[in-house]
Amino acid sequence: MNNTAVETDNKASDMQSPAESCVSCYKENDASRRAFCLTAEELVKAGKDALADEMIINRNLIYSSPATLAFNSPGAQGFGVKRAGLAIPGSVMLLVAPGCCGRNTTILSELGGYSDRFYYLMMDETDIVTGRHLKKIPQAVQEIYDGREEKPSVVMICITCVDALLGTDMDRVCKKAQDAVGIPVLPCYMYALTREGRKPPMVHVRQSIYSLLEPRKKKSTSVNLLGHFAPLIDDCELYELLRQAGVKTIREISRCESYEEYLSMAEANFNLVLDAEARYAAEDIRKRLNIPWIELTRLYQMDKIARQYELFAAAIGVKMDDSVYRAQAEAAVEDFRKKYPKLTFSVGEGCNSNAFELSLALLRYGFSVAEIFSSIGENDFLYLEKIAKLSPQTRVYSNLEPTMIYYDCSEAPADITIGKDAAYYHPEAAHLEWSDDIQPFGYAGVRHFFTACEEVLEIHKYTM
Amino acid sequence: MKGLRKYIAPFAPDQSGATAVFCELGGLVIILDAGGCAGNVCGFDEPRWFDSKSAIFSAGLRDMDAILGRDDKLVEKIAKACEKIDGNFVAVIGTPVPAVIGTDYSALKRMIEKKTGFPTVTVDTNGMELYDDGVKKASLELFRTFTGKNIFTRKDASGQQAETQSDSDGSTEVLPGTLGIIGATPMDVVETAEPDALARYYKEKGWQQVFIYGMGTGLADVERAHRAEKNLVIAPAGLAAAKYLEKKYGTPYEAAYPLETIPGFETLMEEVGKKERKKILIVHQQVLANSLREAIRESSEAEITVASWFMLEKELREEGDVHLKEEDQWMSLVRDGGYDLIIGESLFMRAVPEYAGDFLPLSHFAVSGKRHV
Repeated sequence: MNNTAVETDNKASDMQSPAESCVSCYKENDASRRAFCLTAEELVKAGKDALADEMIINRNLIYSSPATLAFNSPGAQGFGVKRAGLAIPGSVMLLVAPGCCGRNTTILSELGGYSDRFYYLMMDETDIVTGRHLKKIPQAVQEIYDGREEKPSVVMICITCVDALLGTDMDRVCKKAQDAVGIPVLPCYMYALTREGRKPPMVHVRQSIYSLLEPRKKKSTSVNLLGHFAPLIDDCELYELLRQAGVKTIREISRCESYEEYLSMAEANFNLVLDAEARYAAEDIRKRLNIPWIELTRLYQMDKIARQYELFAAAIGVKMDDSVYRAQAEAAVEDFRKKYPKLTFSVGEGCNSNAFELSLALLRYGFSVAEIFSSIGENDFLYLEKIAKLSPQTRVYSNLEPTMIYYDCSEAPADITIGKDAAYYHPEAAHLEWSDDIQPFGYAGVRHFFTACEEVLEIHKYTM
Repeated sequence: MKGLRKYIAPFAPDQSGATAVFCELGGLVIILDAGGCAGNVCGFDEPRWFDSKSAIFSAGLRDMDAILGRDDKLVEKIAKACEKIDGNFVAVIGTPVPAVIGTDYSALKRMIEKKTGFPTVTVDTNGMELYDDGVKKASLELFRTFTGKNIFTRKDASGQQAETQSDSDGSTEVLPGTLGIIGATPMDVVETAEPDALARYYKEKGWQQVFIYGMGTGLADVERAHRAEKNLVIAPAGLAAAKYLEKKYGTPYEAAYPLETIPGFETLMEEVGKKERKKILIVHQQVLANSLREAIRESSEAEITVASWFMLEKELREEGDVHLKEEDQWMSLVRDGGYDLIIGESLFMRAVPEYAGDFLPLSHFAVSGKRHV
């Protein structure tokens, strides 16, 4: 057996004594093995073009640790392709795939509103060889339609890696099924194989769910928010700022109560993209329905939120007064900082934020960030460069890298973790998952974030 | 319609069954997929995953890897992991992607062994079969590769020395009082409050050593599996491996499930006995269902049918037992069977809401994916 020591960050001298490890780390870790990480300073010094092999996902086996299941397994938790594909009101889904692809749907089916919306057409080896499963789809759709008391508005046909490799023309199959049953039948691609490609599954599904919108007469006072499959938090200032700009109707697919209401998204004057994975959908809508789009990013740095609103207002030719909301958020940060002035965070990617942007915001608010668990995207270097200046020793780990099996929480103790992944690594800290379906955004997102931090810290104080 | 499921979600697939066999053996288990299959296996089908740091990895295949058949890139990734992770063997588990592109598992095994020096087992699961098929294939591969081969006899999975010198001297002498349990994975074993309940149960019955392959036993015990006095098959997925060990080493086997280890078993039997039953249907894995049938027969004259969505081995099957494949078939069986009691997973009953007889739940992890303890 090879016992070569793992290439690590050369921080053995900073290591705390094993007694300070959580029980699981202390028992399980082999002293000669350590999880690979680099400091923000090291990463920036090397530059984005010289990223360490360990930080590049497709150069290593993927360690699907319990930390990563929440976000790294299609459909495992949150809005994977399956749940997202059912965003259209009244829709049902037929998963056409080997049994293994539908396995986790047992849990999804138990979530509210999904129990009778999933159907499965199980593929066998003969299907792969002959493609005969494609001929069964129209019949299966018909049987589903006929068997339901409440008729579906749309049938989504979800296919997986197998059909990706077979090169199935699912548009044609859906058309045939649509002709048979008389309601829209749409393809939905759960192709894990293309996850880092030009059009990954979560990008594709966003395009699919808006593809039924047909041209309508525009209403200048109507706007759509695209990107999420659940609504923004109710008290998000974005709603009010849009109203200040004269917008009367703000539509989100998750708030549409009927298929007809969903179709009325086609009357929007413009679309606001709140998640980069919705860019492709927005561009598709622009081409088909002539609805322009603007992108707003979820941020936690106060001045950047303000600047973004300023630019947005300028782009649509209005004035927006965000001062009240900004003051509220600043007060929330200040209150929290007074209560917890020397807090150390450990930030993961399994939450409603960009781990690097959130970390930078926390550092700028005066807190410490010991670790960031996240894959590094090209744009993340913008944040990393600033993090490296404020906190050069902040460690960055790739959640999916094999040596994460040896992660030892004693190397960088944290008071509070953000995200399910970071929580897994630090069982003894306070945990804020920050991964609810309902989406935080803007100043309200900052306010809610610090309120939630305070809640978990208070609970943690009494449970320790 | 054949293949269409409207009420019952798919069961654990073969790749999950194969992973379950290797999970506790200390190797690098690599699921040959794009990421989704490994996520499902670890997040849904492997309850031990959350409590242990098992080295289960996804190959992280991407479309061009599959299209171009870049096995060399895969072997490179595996070799890198072998340098960084403590392990004693490599297990490669198939999924639909390698099934479609026709991966040559024998060649892959040779390439990995040559590059890493680690003994390697490959299992050609395809995600289209059920978990028991994976357990069967993986168990056979496990015993074929390691039993009697003395690869790890001096060290077990955690690097500890084997118990006695005689264990490591390549002896084939039978170890008296040693029971091997085959087919034991969380898929088929009804979860018990104490993890060692099975071993304790058989030790109380007089066995001195109990090797539960797949649950608690390390590779050193797999290597000396040929020295067990007897093998017990507790799920039909273990039958092929037991037959292999019988044929190759003469180890006798029997098939039975230790019903007394099932939490709430006494209550279940009380409920069964509360009424006079005429027709009972038991839906579970075949060995457990057979054992339960025998137990009920001791106090009931009822006609008892065993039905299973999984393997129904000929040698363990009674006339009239039903192998279920389709949801429609299950619905017809319940509708036309005239059963006054059904025992099985609650999930099945979603498809037969009109059934008016009694129902007693009996969990089956491979069906529901739910832990009950």
